[in-house]
Amino acid sequence: MSVVDPVRVHGVSFRYANAAGAALHDVSLGVRAGECVVLCGASGCGKTTLTRVVNGLAPAFFHGDLDGSAVTCGVDAARGPVDRLTPLAGSVFQNPKTQYFNANTTDELAFPCENMGMPADEIGRRVADVARRFDVTGLLDRDAFRLSGGQRQRIAVAAATVLGPRLVVMDEPTGNLDAAAVDDMRRAVIRLKAEGVAVLIAEHRLAWLNGVADRYVLCERGRITREWDAGEFLAMPAGRVADLGLRATDLGPARSRVARLKASAPAVGGADDGALLRTEGLVVGYGGRSRRASPLRRRGRGERRDAFRRAIPDMALRRGEIVGLMGRNGAGKTTLVRTLTGLSRPLSGRILLDGAPARARGLMRVGFLVMQDVNQQLFADSVRGELSLGMDPSDGDLAARRERLLDDLDLADVADRHPMSLSGGQKQRVAIGSALMCGKGLIVLDEPTSGLDRPRMERVGALLRDLARRGAAVLVVTHDEELAAGWCDRVIGMSS
Amino acid sequence: MPGTPGAAALDPRTKLVLLLLANLMLFLHAGAATQAIMTALFLLPLVAAGRRRMATRFAALYTVLAVAAMLDPESLGAPWLHVIPALAVGLGMMLPCLITGAYAVSTTTASAFVCAMRRMRVPESVVVPCVVVIRFFPTIAGDYRRIRETMALRGLVSGRFAALRHPMRMLEHVLVPLLMNAAFVAQDLSVAALTKGLGRSGVHTSRTTIRMRAVDWLFMLACAAPLALDTAGVIG
Repeated sequence: MSVVDPVRVHGVSFRYANAAGAALHDVSLGVRAGECVVLCGASGCGKTTLTRVVNGLAPAFFHGDLDGSAVTCGVDAARGPVDRLTPLAGSVFQNPKTQYFNANTTDELAFPCENMGMPADEIGRRVADVARRFDVTGLLDRDAFRLSGGQRQRIAVAAATVLGPRLVVMDEPTGNLDAAAVDDMRRAVIRLKAEGVAVLIAEHRLAWLNGVADRYVLCERGRITREWDAGEFLAMPAGRVADLGLRATDLGPARSRVARLKASAPAVGGADDGALLRTEGLVVGYGGRSRRASPLRRRGRGERRDAFRRAIPDMALRRGEIVGLMGRNGAGKTTLVRTLTGLSRPLSGRILLDGAPARARGLMRVGFLVMQDVNQQLFADSVRGELSLGMDPSDGDLAARRERLLDDLDLADVADRHPMSLSGGQKQRVAIGSALMCGKGLIVLDEPTSGLDRPRMERVGALLRDLARRGAAVLVVTHDEELAAGWCDRVIGMSS
Repeated sequence: MPGTPGAAALDPRTKLVLLLLANLMLFLHAGAATQAIMTALFLLPLVAAGRRRMATRFAALYTVLAVAAMLDPESLGAPWLHVIPALAVGLGMMLPCLITGAYAVSTTTASAFVCAMRRMRVPESVVVPCVVVIRFFPTIAGDYRRIRETMALRGLVSGRFAALRHPMRMLEHVLVPLLMNAAFVAQDLSVAALTKGLGRSGVHTSRTTIRMRAVDWLFMLACAAPLALDTAGVIG
């Protein structure tokens, strides 16, 4: 390790305040200028904590006890306020929705410069320059709330770079992105490396980093257990990578299987083939003037909310079948599933439920949408209460059904806990359980595996299979090729 | 275009003064004539900013309230109707505050607000929480919508008048996830803002330039005049 290396972590142990065990044990890591190092490993292995130690958030914001030395760009990251590192190290986080601070994209790029006290003309120059280098000039002066996740993440990288840092730290930057947006992220990292910036990325999805990453570091239970240079790592057979609990480094097989699943989608049968749900000439979308004007959203005179319409090829969803719905951000996947579950009304065409035309209310009774942000779907103060919320307590069968479901979904141990105290995967299962208790026949999941490691992704896949076996029609909206290839019976591709 | 406010836009500080004047008027119980004049004045910047629909709605509401306030239940022989003019007078007094508030919030960007607060030498310990709150509004609107949708899917409480029929259940079901989610979002936002130096000591500058112009001073005077005359007892 050289003195000037942007990242010099030596013998660091970290324990979060109020946590029983340590999150990091005696970890050492160096990253050189222009080098890209990938931290991989299961969720909870400590890789996010390590990024926080490097960019100074732990212990300054995430309090805890730190031993050892962490020097980032020559500054002792473990002591003093986080913002001493602002001009030296940029950070990019997973959730594109909550990491930008300004409603306007140009304001967001200017934000770090403003906090550094730069004069307005220099801010303008820097913003224009970083926008050109990271190819976001076309996204300037836009309402950040209306950008896609991928576009927001490109702005986030540019904002992390606008001060010309020597290091950029990324914590699962592609968690919510589609394949094309992931390619954009790849280009941005290549650009950073070419400019001599050190890049430290904690990531589950690995394939996009092929040819970009210089070193791979495996974290297990708070320790760094293995290190490979890129050549060694990429030469490992797929089975070995899977045994380490890591996502595939080569998405080729998954992609070709998805392509086959798309091609093999059967022609839509007649009206009496037993499909739970079928669409005929469906056009989904929204349009016209928005009635919900939100604060701080500039809208010019008579400007309309972007109208959107998309014709959907006729499709059928059958009980016992897992269908994947894939396609770029903005292709209308979300609008389609909202229409199928009765949350939006179709612009034209119709949806048949068991062969009979259904209205929104009927669709709402049959379908359930497990949203990406499950936190918004849980209401009760215990898991058990959540499953029977709003149901008639005099129903004698209710308790028995509930207990059986708790067992089936592997939630019996946490039945009395508050849903918000659970892990992401457990919350997801509680939401699904609440849908099964209502007797829903169609379960739609929106990106259920974003930000999940391989074992957790496979567990979600097994859960989908289990739902299908119970006789539900399962529709899963996903960018995750590995999930689609491994678990979907059919894939519907939506193009924009 | 941010940074170059159009000719019609007022400085954020002027907007705050208007809000203050509206509240003063409520506090001082200004007479009906003063109230009508001030309300009309407050609607002008909304129109100038292109929010004609909003201005029209406020104007219509104010007219309805003004007419309802003049209702004489005694002459109609239904004394219990007194509740209507009483409510109308109360709402009418609050409406100017709502108008100036809506104008300030809907036509000002977060960065302009921050810039204005810093120019007024508001301490950073006040500025930072204000920015966070401003940033929160749109997030909450989206969260609320998704929570209501889940409630509809689960058949919990749905429909147009659900909030009226089961107010407590509604409140609990909406508030718990909303607050929980707010806690997560607040943490993410704080982390992002900290790494970008929001909390740095020293001078913070702004890309957005705000400037008090003649129109700001003139409009402030125009709005302050009726209130002053009212207080002096000239009109009202």
